[in-house]
Amino acid sequence: MTDMLLQQLLNCITLGSIYALIALGFSLLFGMLNIIHFSHGDVSLLSPFLALGAVQALGTALGAAPGGMSFFLILVGAIVLTGVIGLLLDALVIQRFRDAPVMMALVATVALGIVLRELIRHLFPNGSNPHSFPRFITGTLDVFGFPVPIFNAAVILVSILSVGGLFLLLNRTRLGLQIRAVSHDREAARLMSINPSRIFRVTFFIASAIGAIGGLFFSSYASVVRFDFSVEVGLIGFSAAVVGGLGSMPGAIVGSLLIAVLDTFVQAVVPHGASYRLVFVFSLVIGILIFRPSGLFGKTIVEKV
Amino acid sequence: MSTLVLEGEGLTMRFGGLVAMAEVDFKLNRGEILGVIGPNGAGKSTLLNIITGIYKPSSGQVRLEGDKLTGIPTHKIVERGIARTFQSSRLFGDLSVLDNVIIGRHVHTKCGVFDAVFRRGRAQRELKESAAIAEDLLKAVSRELYEQRHRPAAVLPQADRRRLEIARALASEPKVLLLDEPSSGMDDNDTEALITDIRAVCAARPDLAMIIIEHDMHLVSTLPHKVMVLDYGEKLAEGTYEEVRKIPRVQEAYLGRKAVENA
Amino acid sequence: MAASNHIETAAAGAGTGAVGIALVIAVELIGAAFLRQFLLVEDWRIIVGMLGVFCAALYVLQSRPALENRIAEAFSEHRRLATLLGAVIVLMFPFVLEQSTYALHLCVLSLLYATLALALNFQLGSANIPNFATGASYGIGAYASALLAVNLGVSFWLALPVAGLVATIFGFLLGLPSMRTRESYLALVTIAFGVVVHQLLNNLEFTGGPNGLVGIPAPELFGHNFASPLVVFGYSLPSQANFYYLSALLVLIAILFADRLHNSRVGLAWNALRADELAARCQGINTTWYKVLAFAVDAFLAGFAGTIYAFYVGFISPDNFTFLVSVTIMTMVIAGGMDNILGVIVGAVLLTLLPEKLRAFSDYRILFFGVTVIAFLMIRPQGIFPQRLRRYGG
Repeated sequence: MTDMLLQQLLNCITLGSIYALIALGFSLLFGMLNIIHFSHGDVSLLSPFLALGAVQALGTALGAAPGGMSFFLILVGAIVLTGVIGLLLDALVIQRFRDAPVMMALVATVALGIVLRELIRHLFPNGSNPHSFPRFITGTLDVFGFPVPIFNAAVILVSILSVGGLFLLLNRTRLGLQIRAVSHDREAARLMSINPSRIFRVTFFIASAIGAIGGLFFSSYASVVRFDFSVEVGLIGFSAAVVGGLGSMPGAIVGSLLIAVLDTFVQAVVPHGASYRLVFVFSLVIGILIFRPSGLFGKTIVEKV
Repeated sequence: MSTLVLEGEGLTMRFGGLVAMAEVDFKLNRGEILGVIGPNGAGKSTLLNIITGIYKPSSGQVRLEGDKLTGIPTHKIVERGIARTFQSSRLFGDLSVLDNVIIGRHVHTKCGVFDAVFRRGRAQRELKESAAIAEDLLKAVSRELYEQRHRPAAVLPQADRRRLEIARALASEPKVLLLDEPSSGMDDNDTEALITDIRAVCAARPDLAMIIIEHDMHLVSTLPHKVMVLDYGEKLAEGTYEEVRKIPRVQEAYLGRKAVENA
Repeated sequence: MAASNHIETAAAGAGTGAVGIALVIAVELIGAAFLRQFLLVEDWRIIVGMLGVFCAALYVLQSRPALENRIAEAFSEHRRLATLLGAVIVLMFPFVLEQSTYALHLCVLSLLYATLALALNFQLGSANIPNFATGASYGIGAYASALLAVNLGVSFWLALPVAGLVATIFGFLLGLPSMRTRESYLALVTIAFGVVVHQLLNNLEFTGGPNGLVGIPAPELFGHNFASPLVVFGYSLPSQANFYYLSALLVLIAILFADRLHNSRVGLAWNALRADELAARCQGINTTWYKVLAFAVDAFLAGFAGTIYAFYVGFISPDNFTFLVSVTIMTMVIAGGMDNILGVIVGAVLLTLLPEKLRAFSDYRILFFGVTVIAFLMIRPQGIFPQRLRRYGG
């Protein structure tokens, strides 16, 4: 019984950590830089397809599926490439809407997400079908007699490191100072010879790369990936960031864990819960938005007059 | 004649640790113009935002003809008879000049969805009446503006945009009109024309009380009956322009300590 | 001298009047003929060619605003003629489609989508509220009426208003969060609402789960069953014609709604909200109420469209009402022209027909919608037909 409970707890934390990796990007872009980027979830889930594509390509080229070190390198490549794609999307599309009415940026980035999904569907071999994705870290650790898969431990560790790293980056480095300056007042930052466009690009790269890690973990955890998984993952990631309060990095973690707990709980307790899980998750989100519009850790926004 | 219309009592506004306004009192009589001056960040706009219900003061209250306004939503306060303009003119840019003023009549019109769809005659009549009133108002404020009534508001030059904002605010037939830096971004000629316009507005509406936030000392010395000076959210002084400008602390706040010592 | 001058101006007036009348008739007849040809033609090369002609016509209008204004003026001058001729064309249209059931089917779909786009236009166009849940309201209307018909044997004519009401209630509920939340947050709420509705429809027992509801009976009117051919003066039209007229009526209602609301205090308040929410509040507009109202009106019309759809196809499943349907409707509004009734209808018809006519291309439909939205927002955010300023008393 305790083992079952611990097992569930571990699953919760693992799932929460994966959501957090996606939520961080949302929080960073929406909260810090005030950029509307509804396609962040879709960008994040490009990484498993990039990795699978590379594996297949290398497999045909070498005659054998790449394993071990080369597989790890492919994953790193996929993460970096996803970061670059995020940056390019900003340069090509999203930045055009920086000063436009909010509604336009919203609709445009939702459409951008659709385009990304459809591109995977049409360009990836058998893009409409689910593709199995390997659990790339295997083996178990023994923690006080309780078996913990190394994969879960790695997910949790990476997510903690990402949050910590992001926190340090924002608060302890020159780049972080510049990001905060741009988020505070773009014009003033420009006057202090900070190039806002560069800051936007860097932030897009960071957010997309962290999201890509989340995307890889998610596919690996589910051991399968399909072009439209990003709808759900994106919505949950954004919800987690909103629940925690956009712009708050710890908030993104707490929001993700909260949603993961609810998710796991519903699946365990409610009959046929698995098919209703999103109903519960989004009811929580809508409820929190109604009673605490700026999220659990968000600052109340004072209207600019 | 000097009946009290609007009064503020102990108005205090805190944003987190920042005190934007501390214990400010003011009184405004019917037909009176109160000028509010002070350096940037002195809390002038905060005062207007409190009166119009955009901010809810941390403490203190605003009363219109004895009725408490604090805590009432902005759109209800407009209904009670307070209209305002904005420092950076916030017109409905993609609508025509005339539509902007008609929207200003919102609180005096009633037709909802049901009337609009099923009682078209009534809705049309009401809108036509509003349009006629709006046209008269535009004519009264400025003939030039009236000529441009079918153009989108966004294409107007700066001076006309300010006039339009005033016309839009007057359309709600307010008891109190709040003007937030009406002359900002205007040259001397435009400011002079603005003063004439405001005088005409007052002459046509002897009961209308006004609060004008201003930086332009020429305007402040001409229009208001009395002037209130704010600095760091506190009231420094109140009186006629002549009285106020002689007070050393006011000169200090305005010109800086050095300049006063040198003078 | 003065008298002759007077006569001359009168003659000139009559001259422009005649030109105006000719212009109205020409535009409407050419438009109808073009649409008919587009519906009937099967060779994709001709279809592409016709699209080219359409684009060229738009380009000419775009580069010659004087011509565009002249046409608009003619239509407002001869409003009665334009409406009358338009009504005749709509009534006669099924007779010139050479008994093609497919062409009629496309007409019905276009008209239903036109209603949905007009519904969404209240929010997206008039008030700039992004609502990604129109598809869900459409589904709620369809399911509500279908459940009534299948389980309780309620007739179409009673199910229609009830479904509209049910959808409106849900619209109100969806609108409630807009009291406290805005922009991205509100968009999230509407997307989440759409997903929740879809998931519920997919899993609840009484909605039939993923299999949906089957056996929705065709409506009957004065003993005439809508599933049987429509015989007018001895001329028999395919059964789809029944639904063609029904959905044309619905579009007419939607146009009346849209036009009357646009030219009213409510439409002005929505436009004010769109331009500057704070300034709108400072004119005494209860912005929260008007936002909720936009949600309700959208849901009401979408619920109607859903009902007609359900009784038309006789079978509905959750997959008819996904998030992608909402995005499709949004694409129609943006491409056609936000806050322009004609534009929204043209956008709906165009984007319904294109993927259907270009069959080879239909697998790329969703991709095409996504790219269209982004392209329009980047290059021509006002859409094919931009919004026009209101005029009072000419």
